[in-house]
Amino acid sequence: MSAAEQIKETVEKNDVVLFMKGTKMMPQCGFSSRVAGVLNFMGIEYQDVNVLADAEIRQGIKDFSDWPTIPQLYVKGEFVGGCDIVTEMTLSGELDQLLEAKGVAFDKAAAEKIREANA
Amino acid sequence: MAVKDEIEARLSAAFAPERLEVVNESHRHSGHSGDDGSGESHFKILIRAAAFAPMNRVARHRAVHQALGDLNARVHAIALDIA
Repeated sequence: MSAAEQIKETVEKNDVVLFMKGTKMMPQCGFSSRVAGVLNFMGIEYQDVNVLADAEIRQGIKDFSDWPTIPQLYVKGEFVGGCDIVTEMTLSGELDQLLEAKGVAFDKAAAEKIREANA
Repeated sequence: MAVKDEIEARLSAAFAPERLEVVNESHRHSGHSGDDGSGESHFKILIRAAAFAPMNRVARHRAVHQALGDLNARVHAIALDIA
């Protein structure tokens, strides 16, 4: 299977996917760490894909989304954004709205805590 | 030309921003992965331009990536605040 096919299958089979450097338990980049930290804290079930473990996926995901950087978050097959966008959407409440609209479970109280801590 | 100046020149030309701040934050990432020792590895950009008004978040970022061209690959990380 080509990298593009693998990526397509991964984002279609999993409601939430984070392409990142390192793993959700051990991120290896500050930007990946920040997004994984938000998802972990909000209790969101997601598939992590460590791009450092596969050079073809690392390049492939950039081509797939026409987006030059890692991390990249996908919800129900749709590209949401990278670290800056996920951070902004978390703080504005737009991420909550997106997850609710897509029917993805998350801990609303935890999301509110993030916003309180960054107010 | 310093990378900071190149970023400013390209974004000014592409978007005629009302406000543009480019901060070299490389010193804050010294010794981290992605620090190549150049002192020009990490940047933070704040840009405000009317051109972004009709775009969603992803489109705004794509527009900036496109304007930066090869600079995307020459630095490790660029944090973007676009509106």
